[in-house]
Amino acid sequence: MRRSDLGEFEEIVLLTVAVLTPEAYSVAIAEELEQETGKNVSTGAVHASLQRLENKGLLSSHMGEATRERGGRRKRIFSLTLAGSRMLHEVRDLRNRLWDRIAPQTLPQINMV
Amino acid sequence: MSPKEQKPDASPPRWLDKLVERFCAPHLVEEVMGDLHERYHLRVRRFGQAKARKQYWREVLAYARPHIFKRRPSPYPKPIFTDMLRNYFKIAFRNLLSKKFYSAINILGLSIGMTCCMLIFLYVNHELSYDKFHSKADRIYRLVTDIKTPTETIKISITSAPMGAYLKKDFPEVEEVARMYHRSVLLQRDEHQYQEDQTLFADASFFDVFDFLVLRGNVRTALVDPFSVVITEDAAKKYFGEENPIGQSLRMEGSFDLTVTAVVRNVPSNSQVEFDFLISMSTLLEKLDPDRKEEWGNFGFYTFLLLPELTNPEALEDKFPAFMERHISGMREDEMYYSLFLEPLRRVYLYTGRGGPVTGSLSNIYFFSIIAAFILLIACINFMNLATARAAERAKEVGIRKVNGALKRQLTIQFLSESILLSLFAFVLASIFTELLLPAFNELSGKIIDESIFYEHNYLLLLFLLALGVGILAGIYPAFVLSGFQPVSVLKGRFSTSSRGLVLRKALVVVQFAISIMLIAGTVTVYTQLNYMRSQELGFTKEQMLVINFRRDDKVMRQMEAIKNSLKSHPRVLSAAASSSTPGQSNSGAFTNIENPDGEMQASNIHLYSVDFDFLEQYQIEVVAGRSFSRDFPTDSTQAMIINEAAAASYGYASPEEAVGKRFSQWGREGQIIGVIKDFHIRSLQQQIQPLTIRIATNDFKLISLHIEAKDIPSTLAALERQWSALVPHRPFDYFFLDEAFDQQYRNETRFGKLFICFGGLAIFIACLGLLGLISYTVVQRMKEIGIRKVLGASESSIIRLLTKDFLKLVIIAFLIATPIAWYVLREWLADFAYRIEIGAGVFLLAGLGALLIALATVSWQSIRAALANPVDSLKDE
Repeated sequence: MRRSDLGEFEEIVLLTVAVLTPEAYSVAIAEELEQETGKNVSTGAVHASLQRLENKGLLSSHMGEATRERGGRRKRIFSLTLAGSRMLHEVRDLRNRLWDRIAPQTLPQINMV
Repeated sequence: MSPKEQKPDASPPRWLDKLVERFCAPHLVEEVMGDLHERYHLRVRRFGQAKARKQYWREVLAYARPHIFKRRPSPYPKPIFTDMLRNYFKIAFRNLLSKKFYSAINILGLSIGMTCCMLIFLYVNHELSYDKFHSKADRIYRLVTDIKTPTETIKISITSAPMGAYLKKDFPEVEEVARMYHRSVLLQRDEHQYQEDQTLFADASFFDVFDFLVLRGNVRTALVDPFSVVITEDAAKKYFGEENPIGQSLRMEGSFDLTVTAVVRNVPSNSQVEFDFLISMSTLLEKLDPDRKEEWGNFGFYTFLLLPELTNPEALEDKFPAFMERHISGMREDEMYYSLFLEPLRRVYLYTGRGGPVTGSLSNIYFFSIIAAFILLIACINFMNLATARAAERAKEVGIRKVNGALKRQLTIQFLSESILLSLFAFVLASIFTELLLPAFNELSGKIIDESIFYEHNYLLLLFLLALGVGILAGIYPAFVLSGFQPVSVLKGRFSTSSRGLVLRKALVVVQFAISIMLIAGTVTVYTQLNYMRSQELGFTKEQMLVINFRRDDKVMRQMEAIKNSLKSHPRVLSAAASSSTPGQSNSGAFTNIENPDGEMQASNIHLYSVDFDFLEQYQIEVVAGRSFSRDFPTDSTQAMIINEAAAASYGYASPEEAVGKRFSQWGREGQIIGVIKDFHIRSLQQQIQPLTIRIATNDFKLISLHIEAKDIPSTLAALERQWSALVPHRPFDYFFLDEAFDQQYRNETRFGKLFICFGGLAIFIACLGLLGLISYTVVQRMKEIGIRKVLGASESSIIRLLTKDFLKLVIIAFLIATPIAWYVLREWLADFAYRIEIGAGVFLLAGLGALLIALATVSWQSIRAALANPVDSLKDE
């Protein structure tokens, strides 16, 4: 599994799953992402990503309990696999290495207020 | 957080849920629907129901992804797609075999229909493919001219030499200009000497604009030097055999040598630019006729412009008036104004109204496409009719199948697969027929359609889809009718053909015969018109006129009197005359001023014949006013002109007599009109007789006409040829018969008529096949009835009447429908002819009667057989 196989949205979804575990399922993830990014995130898009990530072996899933809001339907709950967690680490390491190598003053200063 | 009680209408839109359940893969439905609903309720709580509902469909749409639609592979086999389908085809095949007669009628009808379609498709495709092969075709434009005289605007397709040359100089946006000038030349190498009609003088840029495949030689330089010639493969073979022609020479007009610089592949049949030889333009404009280079009023050149990509031709056109003003304002001849326009190359062949070396006919394309569709329709109708007529037979089968659990949809598929199988059979047969008939079709249509198109995947795929489409079209109605039977009523035996099916069948037969009658009426009209044009009085003698074409050869022209006298000395030659043209041949147009009734000189562009003193007499052209040319008047050869009645009328003279004695000036000659001749047809009867001027000019001859005796023409020809080669050894004896050449003008119409007769005949044949099937089926069904009637004393003739009456009624209805439509279409067709027949009732009566007789003949065979059968045979069992 190469890093390049992880799309940006996928990466974020993967991270969100890690954040929300053990209650990570598509609606929760979509809500979380909407809050974090301020953009509309549909469960459809999240569902597609989750399924891709599961096919890649980065996530595993099981069916959870049913709730009233879901009309008595069960939800599919996701959790990271070992490969998934290694992938997250690799991605983070790569980014960190690159950040560390940026010479000081290279990036235009942005006032973070 | 305690969930509030949900009101029932708080749930998301029902139809969207249905949609999700329908399309979502079953193993995903639970989680997807759950997610959707949970989110929906969240939003209802957050934003209220209205907004949540609005957002809901967007949420649903976000699931429209392949992984949602994709079903999990089923662990069980699905026999419907393998075994059942195979079974359908097996049953279909058995059905076809067991009913050989019907299958044969259907397959034959369909395959003939498809053959027509394929041939017509090939024809249309060929017509539409003209000039497509040039890689820059969409950037090539033809430069054309409008000539405006005080009286009219003449739209021509040709230009003069400087127009193209200066356009290239003045406009940087013109990438390339290629001019062409057509001339028939005499070429010679050793003993090979031929008059080559397909010869073009062409600019060196010719190959930059057009794509013709070069086999040998360098095209960049091939047409640069004077006296260079590029030849086609066939021409190379003709003159040089297997030798390498490059660098060899060909003698032109017996006076100078051309050097072969390149050999190109033969010109494709769908090329508008046709040639066997390309001679460098510099030969014409530097050596043979240098003056022409700057003669703006001397036309005859086809000019093609190559524009860079994304150039707007209209923007360029807008600059032409200023361009012309700049160059010829000072030298504009009299009152002629030239304006230039551009025509896209790909539109020239079919759409130009100006003519050209070869032009196609858009209306023919429409005509034949419609006919093809009609013929196919007739064949499809046959299938529908026979299939629904046989419904009773298949009804039991349908009943049993349904009782055993077959669904209506499955039965529909089964019957459709039968018709598709049938149409695929027909498709294979039709492909073979087409392949076999293509040479004959080429002959008939006068096209050269390459059969290699058969091996193109796209084409075959298209035809295959057509066959599939025909199968579905023909089969869909019967399939629905047959599969709709109620098993209870069918199996109880209370089944009878529904009256609705009967009405439809009758309607379809009416359509078939209406089409047939239209085609017959069309054929009759086309042929009557052709005959009319051929038999019409033309105003001159055209029989036994042998015309020798010496192509303005100077040597011949100089010794004209001697040559004429020598030819006349042959006992079978009655008279001889020289002229610049003969009826049916092209002739020059001259800028002419003639005095009008008000005494003013009025200008116009007018047809011109240059003749000798014997011409009018030999052709027996009648002089209606004034006198004919005569050797007794020395001024006749320098200051006299004869015009026709149409010319006198067009200048405003009430009677021919008034025009006599009026002044004229034409091409540097001035004088008086000495006579007016009766109008005669110099062109086909498609065109009105146009104004014509005739004058004596011994330096402008091209043809010698000999009036010869009718008996033993071959030996006369042989003798004349010997005589000719003794007199003019350097010119081949190139001749034609005037009547044949005149009829050549109707070549297109004759072809049209022949194609019409073929397709019309086929349409009727297919319709009769269908009728035959229907009547035989009816006879079988009514066998017992006929038996009982006969036992009770019915006569044979009354039974025949009983059986045929119904069908004949249909033909009569078809006649009533077809007549007005055919009348309208034919009137439109005839409108193209200046001299035409009136469409009388006779044509339609003939067509209707013909169709009736054919139908009667088809039906009577079966009905007579039924009437003569012994009733015992039909009644003994049961």
